[in-house]
Amino acid sequence: MNDQILFENVSKFYGEILGVNRVNLSIPRGITSLVGPNGSGKTTLMNLMTGLIRPTRGRIQVLGCRTDEPEKLFRILGYSTQFDSFPKGLTGYQFIYSYLRVGGRDSQDAEQLAWQAIERVNLAEAATRKIAGYSKGMRQRIRLAQALCHDPRVLVLDEPLNGLDPLARSEMIALFRAAAEQGCHVIISSHILHEVDMISDQVVLLSTGYVVAEGQIQSVRQEILEHPAQILIRCNRPRDLAAKMMESGHTIEVRIHNDERGLLIKTRDADGFYLMLNQMAVNGIDIESVAPADDDVNSVYEYLIGNEEVVR
Amino acid sequence: MTRPGLPRIDLGQINSVVRLEMKKILFARRGIWIYVLALLPLVLFTAYDFQASREQARRRQIANQSQRPLTYQDLLTVKSGMTNQEVIALLGRPALNFHWREQRAQGPDSFTDVAHERYHYSDGSNDLFVELSDGKVTDANIQTGNSLGEDSIVFASVFQFFYLRLAIFFGCLGIFMNLFRGEILDKSLHFYFLSPIRREALMIGKFLAGLLATCAIFLTSEFLQIAVFLWHFSPTVRDLYLYHNHGLEDSAAYLGVTALACLGYGAFFLVAGMLFRNPILPAAAILIWEAVNPFLPTLLKQFSIIYYLKSLCPVNIPSPPGTPPLLSLLISNSDPVAAPVAILGVFIMATLALYVSSLQVRRMEINYTSE
Ligand SMILES: Nc1ncnc2c1ncn2[C@@H]1O[C@H](COP(=O)(O)OP(=O)(O)OP(=O)(O)O)[C@@H](O)[C@H]1O
Ligand SMILES: [Mg+2]
Repeated sequence: MNDQILFENVSKFYGEILGVNRVNLSIPRGITSLVGPNGSGKTTLMNLMTGLIRPTRGRIQVLGCRTDEPEKLFRILGYSTQFDSFPKGLTGYQFIYSYLRVGGRDSQDAEQLAWQAIERVNLAEAATRKIAGYSKGMRQRIRLAQALCHDPRVLVLDEPLNGLDPLARSEMIALFRAAAEQGCHVIISSHILHEVDMISDQVVLLSTGYVVAEGQIQSVRQEILEHPAQILIRCNRPRDLAAKMMESGHTIEVRIHNDERGLLIKTRDADGFYLMLNQMAVNGIDIESVAPADDDVNSVYEYLIGNEEVVR
Repeated sequence: MTRPGLPRIDLGQINSVVRLEMKKILFARRGIWIYVLALLPLVLFTAYDFQASREQARRRQIANQSQRPLTYQDLLTVKSGMTNQEVIALLGRPALNFHWREQRAQGPDSFTDVAHERYHYSDGSNDLFVELSDGKVTDANIQTGNSLGEDSIVFASVFQFFYLRLAIFFGCLGIFMNLFRGEILDKSLHFYFLSPIRREALMIGKFLAGLLATCAIFLTSEFLQIAVFLWHFSPTVRDLYLYHNHGLEDSAAYLGVTALACLGYGAFFLVAGMLFRNPILPAAAILIWEAVNPFLPTLLKQFSIIYYLKSLCPVNIPSPPGTPPLLSLLISNSDPVAAPVAILGVFIMATLALYVSSLQVRRMEINYTSE
């Protein structure tokens, strides 16, 4: 059990607000993607894993290490956070070097490791410039360099592909793959499933603080199929329709589309639902189109978040 | 890789934190006011120094112009009722001499002329003003120049009431409260928390950086203040003060109290900055707590910094007669403790505060959003 990242019944509440709830996970080697829409708990899970926050309930272990012992944990773990901020006044090189020194490396060691990491993320020519003047992608890369400069066995990366151009993306993905092939745990978060489903060995799907599916990508899709059906309806009075739907008891969730011209419905009784829909049309609601929303590759993702956020 | 037992705290790591933090503290733009606070008394003393030197030069000039060199004893010999001849016989012709006539009414139509004179003598350090009317001394008034004794009380007051209670207090507030809070505002604290360093070691490193920075700023200023304070006195007066009138001990005490203040207040504000999100309330609470200290029962007094520092201040400030009792309680040191006890007291208070900080730093979470 010492080569897994374990979550045992972990919950985190920010006061009243739910971060994640009753998470049981064991993450093996290779690339694992945490996927879910904004606010689903990806960052919370990563912060818990790295001890930046403490769980309200439950236990977490990273390769047998407790998360409240940073002096041990961060010899084997590197974390590139979602916070896009840096200590003031440092160049990229100084930034990496300084924190290596804080971590106990001697100056020679730190210098060497810093330059290695900077070269791995292709930032050598900008390394002696102040971070304050970096572009978004450069900041993303210097954070990545900081996470991997000490050759950790566990890499936790919060939305690491955000802000990178296509070339940089494929370079970074190659880097993750290489690390995974050397036996590392690479944990990546994303809210775009198809961005990571090609490179992931396994996926953890999160929604509003719950792990809704977990495992290898194919089995995750299978699992989703057993979930309620989703149906997309375009019509002229979505709010009236939504109210009727909820009354009828056939639906378990209704989302009104942003443009007020459509709604997404989840139901466990698709047949009963279609029958009822016909009656609605008779009652004067003008229905343009009805389409199941679960058919294509993105279905898993759409199931979680609805349409509007798929395109970025 | 995992060592059994208590992992030792790596001094090299603490050293790295200290270096990184020192740079941030000393060159922070939002900390400029701390330098201003530290240097204010220096500016004050320099101006005073300048003024005193000019006075001094003026007296010396008057002394040089008089017929013969005078001593302070000579100045004391002039009494009311002496004639001008007697005064001149005693002290020689005055260097400066004003005279004027007054027409004084005696009856409805009769006036008498009264001749007024004022002689100004100086022994080089003190002035003697002799007022005469009709050739008789009516008043002999000695104005002593600034003596080291009086000046050192002024110095002590500035030290206790401005430097210690305001400058160092708020300087430590600005520096130590921001050690963690500043990084939470800048959203850069997580980089430390993601390094393989014990949280306690990080806290100690930050505290030491704060201590070194405040000591560097406030000790330098205090040292310069002492130098400037002694500057305008003649070398003989200075040597007498330094080597025979515990001047050296007093100076060392001032520097020591300054360092202890940085230690004590630093630890207080470090823990306050970690326990509270809003720094204003704890700062106000500590300020009030320290201010009402003289009015507290002895047991409570001991849980403060100023109680010990006050006992260590070398020069007692006498309250001027007629001071309201409440105020004089503030000025006087009603129940001082012995120096070793006071030093130990500050160390114990600081250790207590650091212990609480070490518990708190382990519990800290990265939560930048709710600022
Ligand atoms: N510091 C906090 N205080 C209060 N609530 C928080 C805090 N951090 C996160 N939350 C809440 O916890 C939930 C999960 O947030 P989290 O940041 O983990 O989501 P995420 O999946 O990383 O989202 P994103 O894709 O936007 O990064 C959200 O409802 C969020 O509002
Ligand atoms: Mg996030």
